[in-house]
Amino acid sequence: MRYLIPEVVVAGGALLALLAIVLVPKAKSLGSWIVLLALLAAGIDAATMWHVTASLFMSNTLAIDQYSILVTELVLLAGVSSLLLAWNADRFGEEFPVLLALSVIGMMTLGAAANLLAIFIGIELLSLPLYILAASSRTQAGGEAALKYLLLGAFSSGILLFGMALLYGATSTLSFVAYPAITAANTWLLWSGLALVIVGIAFKLAIVPFHMWVPDVYEGSPTPVTNFMAFGTKVGAAVILLRLLAFGFYTQDGSWGTLIGYLAVLTMIVGNLLALPQMSLKRLLGYSGIGHAGFLLVGIATHSVDGAEAMMFYLLPYGLAVMAVFGVLRLIEGNGDEVTLSDLKGMAYRQPWLAAVLIVGMLSFAGIPLTGGFVGKFFLLQAALFASQPGLAVGIVVGTLVGLFAYLRPLQMMFQRTEPSEKVQKVRWTVASVVVLTVAVVGTIGLGVYPEPFVHIVSHSADFYWLTGG
Amino acid sequence: MISVQYVVALAALLFMVGAVGVLVRKNPLIMFMSAEMMWNAAALAFIAFARNYHDMSGQVMAFLIIGTAAAEVGIGLALIVAVYHRRHRLDIDEISRLKG
Repeated sequence: MRYLIPEVVVAGGALLALLAIVLVPKAKSLGSWIVLLALLAAGIDAATMWHVTASLFMSNTLAIDQYSILVTELVLLAGVSSLLLAWNADRFGEEFPVLLALSVIGMMTLGAAANLLAIFIGIELLSLPLYILAASSRTQAGGEAALKYLLLGAFSSGILLFGMALLYGATSTLSFVAYPAITAANTWLLWSGLALVIVGIAFKLAIVPFHMWVPDVYEGSPTPVTNFMAFGTKVGAAVILLRLLAFGFYTQDGSWGTLIGYLAVLTMIVGNLLALPQMSLKRLLGYSGIGHAGFLLVGIATHSVDGAEAMMFYLLPYGLAVMAVFGVLRLIEGNGDEVTLSDLKGMAYRQPWLAAVLIVGMLSFAGIPLTGGFVGKFFLLQAALFASQPGLAVGIVVGTLVGLFAYLRPLQMMFQRTEPSEKVQKVRWTVASVVVLTVAVVGTIGLGVYPEPFVHIVSHSADFYWLTGG
Repeated sequence: MISVQYVVALAALLFMVGAVGVLVRKNPLIMFMSAEMMWNAAALAFIAFARNYHDMSGQVMAFLIIGTAAAEVGIGLALIVAVYHRRHRLDIDEISRLKG
Protein backbone atom coordinates (compact mmCIF):
# COMPACT_ATOMS: atom_id res chain seq x y z
CA MET A 1 0.00 0.00 0.00
CA ARG A 2 2.53 2.53 -1.18
CA TYR A 3 -0.27 5.02 -1.94
CA LEU A 4 -1.60 5.21 1.61
CA ILE A 5 1.68 6.25 3.23
CA PRO A 6 0.67 9.92 3.78
CA GLU A 7 -2.52 8.87 5.56
CA VAL A 8 -0.66 6.27 7.60
CA VAL A 9 2.03 8.77 8.59
CA VAL A 10 -0.58 11.28 9.82
CA ALA A 11 -2.52 8.58 11.68
CA GLY A 12 0.70 7.28 13.22
CA GLY A 13 1.63 10.81 14.24
CA ALA A 14 -1.74 11.26 15.92
CA LEU A 15 -1.42 8.02 17.88
CA LEU A 16 2.18 8.74 18.85
CA ALA A 17 1.20 12.24 20.02
CA LEU A 18 -1.61 10.74 22.09
CA LEU A 19 0.90 8.38 23.70
CA ALA A 20 3.39 11.19 24.29
CA ILE A 21 0.75 13.33 25.99
CA VAL A 22 -0.04 10.52 28.42
CA LEU A 23 3.53 9.34 29.05
CA VAL A 24 5.35 12.68 29.20
CA PRO A 25 2.82 15.09 30.71
CA LYS A 26 5.51 17.68 31.46
CA ALA A 27 6.55 18.28 27.85
CA LYS A 28 3.65 20.52 26.90
CA SER A 29 4.41 21.00 23.22
CA LEU A 30 5.69 17.49 22.46
CA GLY A 31 2.34 16.41 20.99
CA SER A 32 2.25 19.46 18.75
CA TRP A 33 5.79 18.78 17.54
CA ILE A 34 5.03 15.15 16.70
CA VAL A 35 1.89 16.05 14.77
CA LEU A 36 3.66 18.91 12.98
CA LEU A 37 6.49 16.61 11.87
CA ALA A 38 3.97 13.95 10.79
CA LEU A 39 2.02 16.48 8.71
CA LEU A 40 5.19 17.79 7.06
CA ALA A 41 6.48 14.26 6.38
CA ALA A 42 3.14 13.29 4.85
CA GLY A 43 3.29 16.39 2.65
CA ILE A 44 6.77 15.55 1.40
CA ASP A 45 5.82 11.93 0.79
CA ALA A 46 2.68 12.92 -1.12
CA ALA A 47 4.75 15.29 -3.25
CA THR A 48 7.14 12.48 -4.24
CA MET A 49 4.12 10.50 -5.47
CA TRP A 50 3.17 13.22 -7.95
CA HIS A 51 4.07 11.26 -11.09
CA VAL A 52 2.17 8.17 -9.97
CA THR A 53 0.07 6.29 -12.50
CA ALA A 54 -3.51 6.96 -11.60
CA SER A 55 -5.27 3.88 -10.31
CA LEU A 56 -8.11 2.55 -8.18
CA PHE A 57 -7.44 0.26 -5.27
CA MET A 58 -9.10 -1.41 -2.28
CA SER A 59 -11.81 -2.83 -4.58
CA ASN A 60 -12.64 0.53 -6.15
CA THR A 61 -12.97 2.36 -2.84
CA LEU A 62 -10.07 4.79 -3.14
CA ALA A 63 -8.47 6.42 -6.15
CA ILE A 64 -4.95 7.75 -6.26
CA ASP A 65 -4.18 10.36 -8.88
CA GLN A 66 -2.89 13.92 -9.13
CA TYR A 67 -6.29 15.13 -7.93
CA SER A 68 -6.07 13.28 -4.62
CA ILE A 69 -2.42 14.28 -4.15
CA LEU A 70 -3.21 17.97 -4.65
CA VAL A 71 -6.09 17.70 -2.17
CA THR A 72 -3.73 16.03 0.31
CA GLU A 73 -1.26 18.90 0.01
CA LEU A 74 -4.01 21.52 0.44
CA VAL A 75 -5.49 19.96 3.56
CA LEU A 76 -2.04 19.43 5.05
CA LEU A 77 -1.39 23.15 4.53
CA ALA A 78 -4.66 23.87 6.33
CA GLY A 79 -3.72 21.51 9.16
CA VAL A 80 -0.20 22.92 9.58
CA SER A 81 -1.43 26.52 9.58
CA SER A 82 -4.05 25.80 12.26
CA LEU A 83 -1.53 23.90 14.34
CA LEU A 84 0.92 26.80 14.16
CA LEU A 85 -1.76 29.36 15.00
CA ALA A 86 -2.63 27.37 18.13
CA TRP A 87 1.01 26.79 19.05
CA ASN A 88 1.78 26.93 22.79
CA ALA A 89 -1.76 27.91 23.67
CA ASP A 90 -2.59 25.81 26.71
CA ARG A 91 -6.22 26.77 26.77
CA PHE A 92 -7.04 24.61 23.74
CA GLY A 93 -5.97 21.50 25.63
CA GLU A 94 -3.26 18.98 24.84
CA GLU A 95 -5.52 16.90 22.63
CA PHE A 96 -5.78 19.71 20.09
CA PRO A 97 -3.03 18.44 17.70
CA VAL A 98 -4.33 14.86 17.86
CA LEU A 99 -7.88 15.82 16.91
CA LEU A 100 -6.56 18.11 14.20
CA ALA A 101 -4.54 15.28 12.66
CA LEU A 102 -7.57 12.94 12.68
CA SER A 103 -9.67 15.55 10.94
CA VAL A 104 -6.92 16.02 8.33
CA ILE A 105 -7.05 12.28 7.55
CA GLY A 106 -10.80 12.59 6.94
CA MET A 107 -10.18 15.36 4.42
CA MET A 108 -7.44 13.35 2.70
CA THR A 109 -9.90 10.46 2.39
CA LEU A 110 -12.42 12.74 0.70
CA GLY A 111 -9.86 13.67 -1.93
CA ALA A 112 -9.25 10.02 -2.77
CA ALA A 113 -12.82 8.71 -2.42
CA ALA A 114 -14.22 6.74 -5.34
CA ASN A 115 -17.00 5.11 -3.40
CA LEU A 116 -19.99 6.29 -1.36
CA LEU A 117 -18.61 4.39 1.63
CA ALA A 118 -15.36 6.34 1.49
CA ILE A 119 -17.29 9.62 1.22
CA PHE A 120 -19.27 8.78 4.36
CA ILE A 121 -16.21 7.73 6.33
CA GLY A 122 -14.27 10.77 5.15
CA ILE A 123 -17.01 13.23 6.07
CA GLU A 124 -17.53 11.71 9.50
CA LEU A 125 -13.80 11.49 10.22
CA LEU A 126 -13.56 15.15 9.25
CA SER A 127 -16.56 16.25 11.34
CA LEU A 128 -16.33 14.28 14.59
CA PRO A 129 -12.98 15.78 15.73
CA LEU A 130 -14.15 19.22 14.60
CA TYR A 131 -17.16 19.05 16.95
CA ILE A 132 -14.74 18.62 19.85
CA LEU A 133 -12.28 21.19 18.51
CA ALA A 134 -15.06 23.79 18.27
CA ALA A 135 -15.58 23.42 22.02
CA SER A 136 -11.87 23.20 22.84
CA SER A 137 -11.58 26.70 24.29
CA ARG A 138 -13.93 25.59 27.10
CA THR A 139 -15.98 28.77 26.95
CA GLN A 140 -19.75 29.01 26.91
CA ALA A 141 -19.81 30.33 23.36
CA GLY A 142 -17.49 27.49 22.26
CA GLY A 143 -19.74 24.82 23.77
CA GLU A 144 -22.83 26.28 22.18
CA ALA A 145 -21.12 26.60 18.81
CA ALA A 146 -20.01 22.97 19.03
CA LEU A 147 -23.51 21.79 19.99
CA LYS A 148 -25.01 23.67 17.08
CA TYR A 149 -22.38 22.32 14.70
CA LEU A 150 -23.01 18.80 15.97
CA LEU A 151 -26.79 18.95 15.59
CA LEU A 152 -26.64 20.36 12.07
CA GLY A 153 -23.79 17.99 11.20
CA ALA A 154 -25.78 14.96 12.35
CA PHE A 155 -28.86 16.22 10.50
CA SER A 156 -26.98 16.80 7.25
CA SER A 157 -25.15 13.47 7.53
CA GLY A 158 -28.55 11.81 7.92
CA ILE A 159 -29.75 13.42 4.69
CA LEU A 160 -26.51 12.44 2.95
CA LEU A 161 -26.81 8.84 4.14
CA PHE A 162 -30.40 8.43 3.05
CA GLY A 163 -29.47 9.85 -0.35
CA MET A 164 -26.63 7.34 -0.57
CA ALA A 165 -29.04 4.52 0.32
CA LEU A 166 -31.33 5.56 -2.53
CA LEU A 167 -28.39 5.79 -4.95
CA TYR A 168 -27.36 2.30 -3.88
CA GLY A 169 -30.90 1.12 -4.46
CA ALA A 170 -30.94 2.63 -7.95
CA THR A 171 -27.55 1.33 -9.07
CA SER A 172 -26.86 -1.73 -6.85
CA THR A 173 -23.29 -0.58 -6.25
CA LEU A 174 -21.62 1.85 -3.86
CA SER A 175 -18.73 2.57 -6.20
CA PHE A 176 -19.69 5.82 -7.91
CA VAL A 177 -16.96 5.54 -10.53
CA ALA A 178 -19.11 2.77 -12.03
CA TYR A 179 -22.24 4.96 -12.25
CA PRO A 180 -21.70 6.36 -15.77
CA ALA A 181 -21.73 2.80 -17.12
CA ILE A 182 -25.09 2.03 -15.50
CA THR A 183 -27.59 3.52 -17.89
CA ALA A 184 -30.63 1.52 -16.84
CA ALA A 185 -30.75 3.25 -13.48
CA ASN A 186 -32.22 6.52 -14.75
CA THR A 187 -35.15 6.47 -12.35
CA TRP A 188 -36.76 8.67 -9.74
CA LEU A 189 -34.85 6.66 -7.15
CA LEU A 190 -31.57 7.85 -8.64
CA TRP A 191 -32.70 11.47 -8.87
CA SER A 192 -34.10 11.70 -5.37
CA GLY A 193 -30.94 10.04 -4.07
CA LEU A 194 -28.71 12.46 -5.93
CA ALA A 195 -30.75 15.44 -4.71
CA LEU A 196 -30.44 14.32 -1.09
CA VAL A 197 -26.69 13.75 -1.46
CA ILE A 198 -26.22 17.22 -2.95
CA VAL A 199 -28.22 18.75 -0.07
CA GLY A 200 -26.13 16.82 2.46
CA ILE A 201 -22.84 18.02 1.01
CA ALA A 202 -24.25 21.55 0.54
CA PHE A 203 -24.72 21.72 4.32
CA LYS A 204 -21.05 20.91 4.86
CA LEU A 205 -19.95 23.37 2.18
CA ALA A 206 -22.36 26.09 3.47
CA ILE A 207 -24.32 26.71 0.27
CA VAL A 208 -26.98 29.37 0.73
CA PRO A 209 -30.24 27.77 1.71
CA PHE A 210 -28.21 25.56 4.08
CA HIS A 211 -25.76 28.11 5.50
CA MET A 212 -27.43 29.31 8.72
CA TRP A 213 -25.05 27.50 11.05
CA VAL A 214 -21.83 29.00 9.69
CA PRO A 215 -21.65 32.46 11.31
CA ASP A 216 -22.61 31.20 14.77
CA VAL A 217 -20.16 28.31 14.64
CA TYR A 218 -17.34 30.50 13.31
CA GLU A 219 -17.99 33.09 16.00
CA GLY A 220 -18.02 30.66 18.90
CA SER A 221 -15.08 28.48 17.87
CA PRO A 222 -11.48 29.37 18.73
CA THR A 223 -9.70 31.18 15.89
CA PRO A 224 -7.24 28.39 14.89
CA VAL A 225 -10.20 26.00 14.61
CA THR A 226 -12.14 28.52 12.55
CA ASN A 227 -9.14 28.78 10.25
CA PHE A 228 -9.23 25.01 9.84
CA MET A 229 -12.99 24.95 9.20
CA ALA A 230 -12.80 27.77 6.68
CA PHE A 231 -9.90 26.27 4.73
CA GLY A 232 -9.85 22.50 5.25
CA THR A 233 -13.56 21.73 5.41
CA LYS A 234 -14.22 23.80 2.31
CA VAL A 235 -11.50 21.93 0.42
CA GLY A 236 -12.81 18.54 1.50
CA ALA A 237 -16.48 19.19 0.73
CA ALA A 238 -15.80 21.00 -2.57
CA VAL A 239 -13.48 18.35 -4.01
CA ILE A 240 -15.79 15.46 -3.20
CA LEU A 241 -18.78 17.28 -4.71
CA LEU A 242 -16.73 17.94 -7.85
CA ARG A 243 -15.54 14.35 -8.22
CA LEU A 244 -18.95 12.85 -7.44
CA LEU A 245 -20.92 15.04 -9.85
CA ALA A 246 -18.40 15.65 -12.60
CA PHE A 247 -17.37 12.04 -12.79
CA GLY A 248 -20.07 9.82 -11.30
CA PHE A 249 -22.88 11.66 -13.06
CA TYR A 250 -21.27 13.15 -16.12
CA THR A 251 -23.70 11.44 -18.47
CA GLN A 252 -26.61 13.28 -16.83
CA ASP A 253 -24.98 16.68 -16.50
CA GLY A 254 -27.93 18.59 -17.97
CA SER A 255 -30.07 18.12 -14.90
CA TRP A 256 -27.75 18.75 -11.96
CA GLY A 257 -25.66 21.40 -13.75
CA THR A 258 -28.55 23.86 -13.80
CA LEU A 259 -29.39 23.25 -10.15
CA ILE A 260 -25.78 23.77 -9.05
CA GLY A 261 -25.60 26.88 -11.24
CA TYR A 262 -28.61 28.49 -9.52
CA LEU A 263 -27.23 27.56 -6.09
CA ALA A 264 -23.85 29.07 -7.03
CA VAL A 265 -25.30 32.42 -8.10
CA LEU A 266 -27.59 32.56 -5.06
CA THR A 267 -24.71 31.72 -2.71
CA MET A 268 -22.26 34.22 -4.22
CA ILE A 269 -24.70 37.11 -4.01
CA VAL A 270 -26.52 36.35 -0.74
CA GLY A 271 -23.33 35.37 1.12
CA ASN A 272 -21.57 38.59 0.23
CA LEU A 273 -24.71 40.71 0.83
CA LEU A 274 -25.09 39.30 4.34
CA ALA A 275 -21.41 40.07 5.02
CA LEU A 276 -22.08 43.79 4.52
CA PRO A 277 -23.82 44.71 7.81
CA GLN A 278 -21.68 42.50 10.09
CA MET A 279 -19.82 44.20 12.93
CA SER A 280 -17.96 41.18 14.29
CA LEU A 281 -14.91 40.34 12.19
CA LYS A 282 -15.43 36.59 12.61
CA ARG A 283 -19.05 36.74 11.50
CA LEU A 284 -17.97 38.80 8.50
CA LEU A 285 -15.44 36.11 7.63
CA GLY A 286 -18.13 33.44 8.11
CA TYR A 287 -20.35 35.10 5.52
CA SER A 288 -17.33 35.65 3.31
CA GLY A 289 -16.71 31.89 3.49
CA ILE A 290 -20.30 31.32 2.35
CA GLY A 291 -19.75 33.66 -0.58
CA HIS A 292 -16.56 31.85 -1.57
CA ALA A 293 -18.36 28.50 -1.45
CA GLY A 294 -20.54 29.97 -4.18
CA PHE A 295 -17.49 30.79 -6.28
CA LEU A 296 -16.26 27.21 -5.85
CA LEU A 297 -19.65 25.92 -7.02
CA VAL A 298 -19.26 27.85 -10.29
CA GLY A 299 -16.39 25.54 -11.21
CA ILE A 300 -18.65 22.52 -10.63
CA ALA A 301 -21.67 24.01 -12.39
CA THR A 302 -19.82 24.69 -15.66
CA HIS A 303 -19.12 20.97 -15.86
CA SER A 304 -16.00 21.20 -17.98
CA VAL A 305 -12.32 20.53 -17.44
CA ASP A 306 -11.83 24.32 -17.40
CA GLY A 307 -14.33 24.61 -14.58
CA ALA A 308 -12.69 21.83 -12.58
CA GLU A 309 -9.28 23.45 -13.05
CA ALA A 310 -10.64 26.86 -12.03
CA MET A 311 -12.19 25.43 -8.87
CA MET A 312 -9.05 23.56 -7.90
CA PHE A 313 -7.02 26.71 -8.51
CA TYR A 314 -9.39 28.85 -6.46
CA LEU A 315 -8.95 26.66 -3.38
CA LEU A 316 -5.32 27.68 -2.84
CA PRO A 317 -5.58 31.51 -3.00
CA TYR A 318 -8.76 31.28 -0.90
CA GLY A 319 -6.97 29.17 1.69
CA LEU A 320 -3.93 31.44 1.79
CA ALA A 321 -6.14 34.50 2.30
CA VAL A 322 -7.96 32.64 5.09
CA MET A 323 -4.59 31.93 6.71
CA ALA A 324 -3.55 35.58 6.47
CA VAL A 325 -6.77 36.99 7.90
CA PHE A 326 -7.21 34.43 10.68
CA GLY A 327 -3.52 34.69 11.55
CA VAL A 328 -3.91 38.43 12.10
CA LEU A 329 -7.15 37.88 13.99
CA ARG A 330 -5.42 35.39 16.27
CA LEU A 331 -2.72 37.94 17.10
CA ILE A 332 -5.01 40.89 17.77
CA GLU A 333 -7.70 39.04 19.71
CA GLY A 334 -5.22 38.37 22.54
CA ASN A 335 -7.03 36.14 25.00
CA GLY A 336 -10.05 35.39 23.00
CA ASP A 337 -12.35 38.40 23.15
CA GLU A 338 -14.55 39.07 20.19
CA VAL A 339 -12.92 41.41 17.67
CA THR A 340 -15.33 43.91 16.17
CA LEU A 341 -14.69 46.17 13.22
CA SER A 342 -14.35 49.21 15.50
CA ASP A 343 -11.48 47.44 17.28
CA LEU A 344 -9.56 47.76 14.03
CA LYS A 345 -9.64 51.57 14.17
CA GLY A 346 -6.19 53.08 13.83
CA MET A 347 -4.55 49.70 13.34
CA ALA A 348 -2.67 50.90 10.27
CA TYR A 349 -0.75 53.33 12.51
CA ARG A 350 -0.43 51.16 15.62
CA GLN A 351 0.57 47.86 13.99
CA PRO A 352 1.55 48.62 10.40
CA TRP A 353 2.86 45.12 9.67
CA LEU A 354 -0.26 43.33 10.87
CA ALA A 355 -2.39 45.82 9.01
CA ALA A 356 -0.43 45.17 5.82
CA VAL A 357 -1.01 41.40 6.12
CA LEU A 358 -4.72 41.95 6.76
CA ILE A 359 -4.91 44.22 3.71
CA VAL A 360 -3.30 41.59 1.49
CA GLY A 361 -5.72 38.92 2.75
CA MET A 362 -8.81 41.09 2.36
CA LEU A 363 -7.79 42.28 -1.12
CA SER A 364 -7.28 38.66 -2.17
CA PHE A 365 -10.77 37.81 -0.84
CA ALA A 366 -12.15 40.73 -2.80
CA GLY A 367 -10.28 39.76 -5.98
CA ILE A 368 -8.07 42.79 -6.57
CA PRO A 369 -5.38 42.33 -9.27
CA LEU A 370 -1.88 41.24 -8.17
CA THR A 371 -3.39 38.88 -5.59
CA GLY A 372 -4.14 35.19 -6.01
CA GLY A 373 -7.86 35.82 -5.49
CA PHE A 374 -8.00 37.89 -8.67
CA VAL A 375 -6.40 35.15 -10.77
CA GLY A 376 -8.77 32.57 -9.27
CA LYS A 377 -11.86 34.65 -10.04
CA PHE A 378 -10.51 35.34 -13.53
CA PHE A 379 -10.22 31.60 -14.27
CA LEU A 380 -13.74 30.97 -12.94
CA LEU A 381 -15.11 33.76 -15.14
CA GLN A 382 -13.27 32.31 -18.11
CA ALA A 383 -14.64 28.82 -17.41
CA ALA A 384 -18.19 30.17 -17.14
CA LEU A 385 -17.86 32.00 -20.46
CA PHE A 386 -16.24 29.03 -22.23
CA ALA A 387 -19.14 26.86 -21.06
CA SER A 388 -21.44 29.57 -22.52
CA GLN A 389 -23.23 30.17 -19.24
CA PRO A 390 -23.45 33.97 -19.07
CA GLY A 391 -25.71 33.78 -16.02
CA LEU A 392 -22.85 32.34 -13.98
CA ALA A 393 -20.49 35.02 -15.27
CA VAL A 394 -22.92 37.77 -14.24
CA GLY A 395 -23.26 36.11 -10.84
CA ILE A 396 -19.48 36.13 -10.37
CA VAL A 397 -19.25 39.82 -11.26
CA VAL A 398 -22.14 40.88 -9.02
CA GLY A 399 -20.90 38.72 -6.14
CA THR A 400 -17.41 40.19 -6.45
CA LEU A 401 -18.73 43.75 -6.50
CA VAL A 402 -20.85 43.24 -3.39
CA GLY A 403 -17.94 41.46 -1.72
CA LEU A 404 -15.67 44.39 -2.50
CA PHE A 405 -17.75 46.65 -0.24
CA ALA A 406 -17.81 44.06 2.52
CA TYR A 407 -14.02 43.65 2.48
CA LEU A 408 -13.17 47.33 2.09
CA ARG A 409 -15.11 48.30 5.23
CA PRO A 410 -12.58 46.76 7.65
CA LEU A 411 -9.74 48.29 5.63
CA GLN A 412 -11.35 51.71 5.85
CA MET A 413 -11.66 51.26 9.64
CA MET A 414 -7.95 50.52 9.92
CA PHE A 415 -7.03 53.90 8.49
CA GLN A 416 -9.25 55.92 10.82
CA ARG A 417 -7.30 57.98 13.34
CA THR A 418 -8.23 57.39 16.99
CA GLU A 419 -7.40 59.09 20.24
CA PRO A 420 -4.13 57.77 21.67
CA SER A 421 -5.77 57.47 25.11
CA GLU A 422 -7.59 54.32 24.05
CA LYS A 423 -6.41 51.19 25.77
CA VAL A 424 -4.74 48.90 23.26
CA GLN A 425 -3.67 45.33 23.82
CA LYS A 426 -0.06 44.71 22.99
CA VAL A 427 0.44 42.17 20.23
CA ARG A 428 2.58 39.20 21.18
CA TRP A 429 4.33 37.96 18.07
CA THR A 430 5.31 34.30 18.00
CA VAL A 431 7.61 32.53 15.57
CA ALA A 432 4.80 30.16 14.58
CA SER A 433 2.40 32.95 13.65
CA VAL A 434 5.12 34.81 11.75
CA VAL A 435 5.69 31.67 9.67
CA VAL A 436 1.97 31.36 8.88
CA LEU A 437 1.61 35.04 7.97
CA THR A 438 4.75 35.00 5.80
CA VAL A 439 3.64 31.92 3.87
CA ALA A 440 0.16 33.39 3.43
CA VAL A 441 1.36 36.78 2.15
CA VAL A 442 4.14 35.45 -0.08
CA GLY A 443 1.80 32.80 -1.47
CA THR A 444 -1.05 35.22 -2.12
CA ILE A 445 1.10 37.75 -3.94
CA GLY A 446 3.14 35.02 -5.65
CA LEU A 447 -0.02 33.42 -7.06
CA GLY A 448 -1.20 36.82 -8.23
CA VAL A 449 2.02 37.79 -9.99
CA TYR A 450 3.26 34.46 -11.29
CA PRO A 451 0.49 31.82 -11.26
CA GLU A 452 1.92 29.63 -14.08
CA PRO A 453 3.53 26.87 -11.95
CA PHE A 454 0.38 26.29 -9.95
CA VAL A 455 -1.77 26.46 -13.08
CA HIS A 456 0.40 23.70 -14.50
CA ILE A 457 -0.10 21.56 -11.37
CA VAL A 458 -3.84 22.18 -11.36
CA SER A 459 -4.23 21.30 -15.04
CA HIS A 460 -2.71 17.88 -14.28
CA SER A 461 -4.85 17.30 -11.22
CA ALA A 462 -8.20 18.32 -12.72
CA ASP A 463 -7.87 15.66 -15.38
CA PHE A 464 -9.58 12.85 -13.50
CA TYR A 465 -11.49 11.37 -16.44
CA TRP A 466 -9.04 8.46 -16.48
CA LEU A 467 -11.49 6.80 -14.11
CA THR A 468 -13.76 5.86 -17.01
CA GLY A 469 -14.92 2.30 -16.71
CA GLY A 470 -13.75 2.11 -13.07
CA MET B 1 -40.46 -12.59 2.16
CA ILE B 2 -41.46 -8.95 2.37
CA SER B 3 -40.77 -7.14 -0.89
CA VAL B 4 -38.18 -4.38 -0.89
CA GLN B 5 -40.66 -1.56 -1.58
CA TYR B 6 -42.37 -1.94 1.78
CA VAL B 7 -39.11 -1.87 3.71
CA VAL B 8 -37.87 1.19 1.83
CA ALA B 9 -41.23 2.89 2.38
CA LEU B 10 -40.88 2.24 6.10
CA ALA B 11 -37.33 3.64 5.98
CA ALA B 12 -38.59 6.75 4.17
CA LEU B 13 -41.27 7.18 6.82
CA LEU B 14 -38.71 6.90 9.62
CA PHE B 15 -36.51 9.39 7.78
CA MET B 16 -39.39 11.88 7.52
CA VAL B 17 -40.25 11.52 11.20
CA GLY B 18 -36.61 12.11 12.10
CA ALA B 19 -36.25 15.14 9.80
CA VAL B 20 -39.46 16.73 11.11
CA GLY B 21 -38.27 16.04 14.65
CA VAL B 22 -35.00 17.89 14.10
CA LEU B 23 -36.76 20.84 12.51
CA VAL B 24 -39.65 21.17 14.96
CA ARG B 25 -38.37 20.21 18.39
CA LYS B 26 -36.39 22.66 20.54
CA ASN B 27 -34.66 20.35 22.99
CA PRO B 28 -31.15 19.40 21.76
CA LEU B 29 -31.51 15.89 23.19
CA ILE B 30 -34.67 15.21 21.23
CA MET B 31 -33.18 16.85 18.12
CA PHE B 32 -30.15 14.63 18.41
CA MET B 33 -32.33 11.58 18.85
CA SER B 34 -34.30 12.50 15.74
CA ALA B 35 -31.08 12.90 13.75
CA GLU B 36 -30.02 9.43 14.86
CA MET B 37 -33.37 8.17 13.64
CA MET B 38 -32.57 9.54 10.18
CA TRP B 39 -29.27 7.62 10.24
CA ASN B 40 -31.04 4.42 11.20
CA ALA B 41 -33.61 4.92 8.46
CA ALA B 42 -30.72 5.06 5.99
CA ALA B 43 -29.20 1.91 7.49
CA LEU B 44 -32.54 0.12 7.12
CA ALA B 45 -32.79 1.17 3.47
CA PHE B 46 -29.23 -0.05 2.86
CA ILE B 47 -30.03 -3.45 4.35
CA ALA B 48 -33.25 -3.75 2.35
CA PHE B 49 -31.47 -3.02 -0.93
CA ALA B 50 -28.54 -5.28 -0.01
CA ARG B 51 -30.93 -8.18 0.52
CA ASN B 52 -32.67 -7.40 -2.73
CA TYR B 53 -29.42 -7.40 -4.74
CA HIS B 54 -27.69 -10.17 -2.76
CA ASP B 55 -24.77 -7.75 -2.39
CA MET B 56 -22.77 -7.40 0.80
CA SER B 57 -21.64 -3.78 0.46
CA GLY B 58 -24.98 -2.41 1.66
CA GLN B 59 -24.73 -4.48 4.82
CA VAL B 60 -21.17 -3.27 5.41
CA MET B 61 -22.44 0.27 5.09
CA ALA B 62 -25.12 -0.44 7.71
CA PHE B 63 -22.47 -1.66 10.15
CA LEU B 64 -20.37 1.43 9.52
CA ILE B 65 -23.42 3.63 10.12
CA ILE B 66 -24.04 1.93 13.47
CA GLY B 67 -20.40 2.34 14.49
CA THR B 68 -20.17 5.97 13.46
CA ALA B 69 -23.49 6.76 15.12
CA ALA B 70 -22.10 5.37 18.38
CA ALA B 71 -19.05 7.64 18.10
CA GLU B 72 -21.27 10.60 17.35
CA VAL B 73 -23.51 9.89 20.34
CA GLY B 74 -20.44 9.78 22.58
CA ILE B 75 -19.33 13.22 21.47
CA GLY B 76 -22.86 14.64 21.30
CA LEU B 77 -23.95 13.64 24.79
CA ALA B 78 -20.67 14.94 26.24
CA LEU B 79 -21.24 18.31 24.56
CA ILE B 80 -24.88 18.47 25.67
CA VAL B 81 -23.85 17.74 29.26
CA ALA B 82 -21.09 20.37 29.09
CA VAL B 83 -23.49 23.04 27.82
CA TYR B 84 -26.16 22.03 30.35
CA HIS B 85 -23.63 22.40 33.18
CA ARG B 86 -23.19 26.05 32.33
CA ARG B 87 -26.76 27.18 31.94
CA HIS B 88 -29.03 24.49 33.44
CA ARG B 89 -31.59 24.85 30.71
CA LEU B 90 -31.75 23.20 27.36
CA ASP B 91 -33.50 25.12 24.63
CA ILE B 92 -31.94 25.47 21.24
CA ASP B 93 -33.51 28.91 20.67
CA GLU B 94 -31.66 30.30 23.68
CA ILE B 95 -28.46 28.53 22.76
CA SER B 96 -28.36 29.61 19.17
CA ARG B 97 -28.45 33.33 18.91
CA LEU B 98 -29.67 33.08 15.35
CA LYS B 99 -28.72 36.42 13.91
CA GLY B 100 -28.20 35.47 10.33
